[in-house]
Amino acid sequence: MRIPPGPLEFTRRTWIRLVLLATFVFLYAPIATLVAYSFNDSRRNIVWRGFTTRYYERAIANDGLVEAFGNSLLIALAATVVSTLLGAMTAYALWRFRFRLKPLCEGVVMLPIVIPEICMGVAMLVFFARIGWPGDLPWPISLSRITIAHISFCFPFVAVVVRARLSRFNGELAEAARDLGAGEWAVVRDVIVPHMRPGLVAGALLAFTLSLDDFVITFFTSGPDTVTFPVKIYSMVRFSVTPEVNAASTVLIVVTITVTVVAMWLQNRTRSGAPP
Amino acid sequence: MREHARHRLSRRGLLAGAAAAAFAIRPRPGLGAEEPRLNFYNWDTYIGETTLADFRTASGISVKMDLFADSDELFAKLREGNPGYDVIVPTNDYVERMIAVDMLQPLDHSLIPNRANLQDAFADAAFDPGRRHTMPYMWGTLGIGYRKSKVDGVPDSWKWLFDSDRYAGRCALLSDASTVLGAAIKYLGHPLNSRDPAIIRQAEELLTGQKRHIRTFAPDNGQDLLLSGEVDITMEWNGDILQVMDEDPDLSYVVPREGSIIWQDCLAIPVGAPHPLNAHAFINYILDARVGADIADFIRYATPNAAAKALLPADYTENPGIFPPDATLTRCEPAIYQGPEVVRLYDEAWTRIQAA
Amino acid sequence: MKPGAGLLHRVAGVVPGLWLAGFFLLPLAFVWVLSFGEKQGLVAVDIVWTADNYLRALDPLYLGIVAKSLWIAALTTVICLAVGLPVALGIVFAPARWRPLLLLLVILPFWTNLLIRTYALIAVLRTRGHVNATLGWAAELFGLPFEPLSLLYTNGAVVAGLVYVHLPFMVLPLYATLHRLDRSLVEAAADLGAGHLRVCVTIILPLAVPGIVSGSLLVFVPALGSYLTPDLLGGPDSQMIANVIERQFKSANDWPFGAALSFLLMYVTFGALALRSLSVRRPAVP
Repeated sequence: MRIPPGPLEFTRRTWIRLVLLATFVFLYAPIATLVAYSFNDSRRNIVWRGFTTRYYERAIANDGLVEAFGNSLLIALAATVVSTLLGAMTAYALWRFRFRLKPLCEGVVMLPIVIPEICMGVAMLVFFARIGWPGDLPWPISLSRITIAHISFCFPFVAVVVRARLSRFNGELAEAARDLGAGEWAVVRDVIVPHMRPGLVAGALLAFTLSLDDFVITFFTSGPDTVTFPVKIYSMVRFSVTPEVNAASTVLIVVTITVTVVAMWLQNRTRSGAPP
Repeated sequence: MREHARHRLSRRGLLAGAAAAAFAIRPRPGLGAEEPRLNFYNWDTYIGETTLADFRTASGISVKMDLFADSDELFAKLREGNPGYDVIVPTNDYVERMIAVDMLQPLDHSLIPNRANLQDAFADAAFDPGRRHTMPYMWGTLGIGYRKSKVDGVPDSWKWLFDSDRYAGRCALLSDASTVLGAAIKYLGHPLNSRDPAIIRQAEELLTGQKRHIRTFAPDNGQDLLLSGEVDITMEWNGDILQVMDEDPDLSYVVPREGSIIWQDCLAIPVGAPHPLNAHAFINYILDARVGADIADFIRYATPNAAAKALLPADYTENPGIFPPDATLTRCEPAIYQGPEVVRLYDEAWTRIQAA
Repeated sequence: MKPGAGLLHRVAGVVPGLWLAGFFLLPLAFVWVLSFGEKQGLVAVDIVWTADNYLRALDPLYLGIVAKSLWIAALTTVICLAVGLPVALGIVFAPARWRPLLLLLVILPFWTNLLIRTYALIAVLRTRGHVNATLGWAAELFGLPFEPLSLLYTNGAVVAGLVYVHLPFMVLPLYATLHRLDRSLVEAAADLGAGHLRVCVTIILPLAVPGIVSGSLLVFVPALGSYLTPDLLGGPDSQMIANVIERQFKSANDWPFGAALSFLLMYVTFGALALRSLSVRRPAVP
């Protein structure tokens, strides 16, 4: 190192680097193991028995798994879109208005984050059964139960993230726009939404992740035609983790990385054209 | 609990072909109103490799199989109404509960002629008198899986798991309240389905005392702990241990001499099944001799199907892990549902054991 | 206010409100009502507005388990903070082009199914796993005797597993808060001769407080309610309250009691939330 690190260059401090390194080793050792064992030529992830790609073939040939995979992605996409919209509206309403019961409303919005998953799963099971939600709908409308449940627990996360972003909004910007004759709708569209955008992206990513990984609530809302990837995986690995499960997970990791990289790239592109 | 066993492609292929040829469902007049689909809710890897495809070839009905991981899940899922399953695979004590709350449809025995293939002992069942709601699918035992090179002789007593520090830190129990407490009650010399709070208390004290020697209460993955060398002796279901025995010849399984739990998985049609006729046809197909032999050969569980068993080789029919000796079997009992008060006693005891 | 604006505002407030009421509060109400019910046989529950389930949940046995769960969740949160703060600092002050990549690296493991991640962790920690293999190899290198460590099936393993699962929840809010840190303050402190550690403690830590609070919340709350991790990594005494709740909804088949325990847990969490709103005026989650 030529110059000693300055006060702000924490990343050049050795101890910070060591912590970063140790953290990434901690985070990735299991993932690396997972990926490595997806090529293991044994039915169990315990002893290494040689290299094979046949579990990828098996995973891809497993119709149930592929279908579950498709269902999961579809549900996650739908849940992400709707919960981002709802979350943004919630955040906007909670930020824009003052009313007497606001603290209560803020608390209620936090409820889905706080509730134990199994309790919410049972609540959804009872709810859909008692209100007589039809169970024999054609695909993909049959995914509506799961999607609705996912939206209910995802959008509060989006709301929290977007709300935090809005709290740093400079009100003068909106004032200026109004002075220039912009209607309320134009202010929202041209000033507030662009400011929200990083929060929307972060919230959407969070919602997508939560939906994609949820098992407990989905289990209680799924039926024979609406199995998702985590539900499928769960019933498979409770007995033993096979390389097939690892292969499927590796594929899922690759798919989600691709989606994110594309999303980040899109975000960078749009952000460079939008006000900060 | 249930996993499939080894791959023996050559013979299984033959069996499957034979099964498909031997069996063909002819549509019965006046019954053809159902779409050719079936939703089957089963344990993972608990069916022959080609059974579902063969059934489709034979009958034109395509089967969609979903998986559940334990009976509690199955029960919880059906509790508020059937989400669309046609055939389910509950275990005997859950069959009782399901019958009690009218979750199961009575079977039309005239649509299941293959029930004649069943071994006499399985033609009727205490938990389902007259077999009105269920047909037997597979059965098995609870026992001890162990690593031969690390234990003294054959550990054929619950003592090694419940009442000894011989394998301290190297043994595991299951994590299901009624199973573990039930086995402990057997060890104490009482009937498995004891309702007496004093006996349950006694079992609780035994386990609380033993807890410090136990590595973990394994959520049904004792076979993995055994195979990876994490423990040397564990309580497990026979099929799980049989499977890892294939991979590691140093592993073995024994049913303790004090007796144990014997279970039976059944095929049943839940109330509200959208395709009850297809479901009957499917159950009948499974009970076919060839089909049953094919499945049993693949998943390596004990079949209640006498005709199927007769078709299988000695390495299956004489495997003591699959079919324990009669002397052992007579000391095994099935779990019987005891009602909510007793379930609560077991659950509270279990919570206390873990919290102790 | 111009016409149209009122409509917009109403939509923004009413649509999420209706959704929450119809698809969350109503389902939740079913369970809430159950918690005042009495079990009649296998599945029937009579809503008799009894407090018995709550009284039973207040038994010292369950309170002890709740206390233990609180302790484990708190320990998890502290460790996440201790690890997450340097990580967040490292990312915030990394060169701009590295930042997205580092952030992605933190979130990435999060996209693998929880159960699979936990099993993968087992493969790393078990007696014949990678940690022991590495240690054994190192010991051999130096000619030291080595006995494989028993890392799994202890409360420590549960905490490690919970940290593993929840670390991103801590890093992200910290990053979001520190990202907007007023650098001039740090520079001024450095100009005035404050040392590296002193800058950390006196300037950065207070600035990070909103992030610490929201990150702690996002770690603590889910950690308190987790049951798969203690189930798979824990030893014979690692039971947490969510394990008990899960059993009530499954094997014990006692939904009223399970509902009462769940709501008890929610009341506890709401208490924590109330404390939080007292400690900071404004939410500053990522």
